Amino acid sequence: MIRRLLHIEQIKLLNYNPFRITLGIYFLAFALGLLIYPAIDKEIPVISLSDLFRFPDVWLFLTWITEPYNILLAMVIIMITTKEFSNHTFKTQLIFGLSRTELLLQKLMLIVVLALFATLLLGATSLTLGLIYSYKITFKIAMDNTYILLRYFLSSFTYMSMGLLVALLIKNTAMSLLTFLALRTFVDPVLFLILRKYEVKWYLPMRTTTQLTPVPNVIEIFEKKMNSPDSINESALEFVPEGLPDWLNILMVLLYTSLAIWASYRLMQRRRFV
Amino acid sequence: MNEILSIQGLSKSYKSVKAIRKLNLQILEGQAYGILGPNGSGKTTTLSIVTGIIRQDEGSFSWFGEPPEAGQRRFIGSLIETPHFYPYLNLEKNLRIICDIKGMDYRDIHRVLQTAKLFERRKSKFSTLSLGMKQRLGIAAALLGDPRVLVLDEPTNGLDPEGIAEVREVVLEQVKQGKTLILASHILSEVEKICNHVAILKKGELLANGPVKELLAEDEIIELSCNNNESLRKKLENSGLVKEIETENGVLVLTLNEKITPSEINAFAFDQKLVIHHLLSRKRSLESQFLELVKEE
Repeated sequence: MIRRLLHIEQIKLLNYNPFRITLGIYFLAFALGLLIYPAIDKEIPVISLSDLFRFPDVWLFLTWITEPYNILLAMVIIMITTKEFSNHTFKTQLIFGLSRTELLLQKLMLIVVLALFATLLLGATSLTLGLIYSYKITFKIAMDNTYILLRYFLSSFTYMSMGLLVALLIKNTAMSLLTFLALRTFVDPVLFLILRKYEVKWYLPMRTTTQLTPVPNVIEIFEKKMNSPDSINESALEFVPEGLPDWLNILMVLLYTSLAIWASYRLMQRRRFV
Repeated sequence: MNEILSIQGLSKSYKSVKAIRKLNLQILEGQAYGILGPNGSGKTTTLSIVTGIIRQDEGSFSWFGEPPEAGQRRFIGSLIETPHFYPYLNLEKNLRIICDIKGMDYRDIHRVLQTAKLFERRKSKFSTLSLGMKQRLGIAAALLGDPRVLVLDEPTNGLDPEGIAEVREVVLEQVKQGKTLILASHILSEVEKICNHVAILKKGELLANGPVKELLAEDEIIELSCNNNESLRKKLENSGLVKEIETENGVLVLTLNEKITPSEINAFAFDQKLVIHHLLSRKRSLESQFLELVKEE
């Protein structure tokens, strides 16, 4: 059953040009991480960017850098879902025997697959860069901080679930994309500024999601390096301490994701697919 | 005969418009059931509800004697209004999706594409098809997996005369094989040619239903009763005036031979010294109802 649903999504996606293009951009963005950052390194004297690509800091740094790429994945979900409305293919799938719950399940499984894919790609990229730039590699040092991949998976999953909800709510491709991008790049940050004096600002949905993979304290690593050039074996990167406690932040993200899926489910049950 | 689809008291409104009101229908296995009515009479709404696209406000329906459930639709081949597929996928890949939904392998795809005369176009994108070809692909998709029930909503819509004839042939072939057919149409002749049962809808209400030969046939059907029905029946049977005689609830139901009018029957009975006290032309009333329907189109 689940294989069948996934296979249907596979036929739809792999032949869909916007998906291929977005995927191409996504790969390109990761390739940039592999090629461009080290290239920039040569332009800056004293500070070496390659310090950021060493185990175990590379996990945290790349996770933070690639977090916005999840927006691309959310855009894929929005496109493929809204297209089902404009092509009336939700209706076709219903007629031939899928239930409304299965229609939603199909998309959720696609989200899981894409999130896994993104996490694996990040893992592979970090591993490659780490192996290239680390002076001394032990298993313990290399695997330190890999827990961040789990957070990345959750972040990716959350982005796409929110994209799905926006798509089911608005139905129109362009409007959905605009709304989602506006929420991520404008509405949430502006609200954050407006609420800057209040603790509630840390509870905004997009903010909690970005806090999953927070800004590493880049300055600190350079300071540490300057003070004692040899201390490269332990993790130098730490998160800039702000926002909610970690557990609460993760809990809030899980809460928002569950809400998004629940709302998507309700919408899917009620929509008229004519 | 097994019950295929049963509809009880189904109602559906779109805002202030009542699309169907308290509709009851029963369709049995092997029937070719036509749903006839002008545009806006609720045909598509009815079929959309039973195929799970929209929800009814009131009433219920059951497929194969069981409450509706998505899995049942895998045994039903449906075409509701215009067919919708993925425009960027070719015909074969579109049908693969349907096969995956129905949980069957892809072997049947070539057969249905050949039946729909689209085999040569199997590698073309759906978006490149003409309107008539899209309609034929919809029929091909409905035939996938040789379902025991076909639900077709205006299947000849947008087809040229040749296409209409071809689709009719395909559908008639299915009926001959004993498949159950539910066909919605606003074209009287289409229902007459394909179906053996018909329900006539108007503004969401059921006007009449029954066997096509009774409702829409050329033969004139009258019901009558006199002081001695049995004796009249025997005499009529040998008179050459009627094709068929049945007794329903104590009245005789006669199917008249061509060019015989009810007044001739009356005169015949009078000659036999039988006095008719009830005479009603069934066909007349339905025909006038139907003319009314057609007039509004």
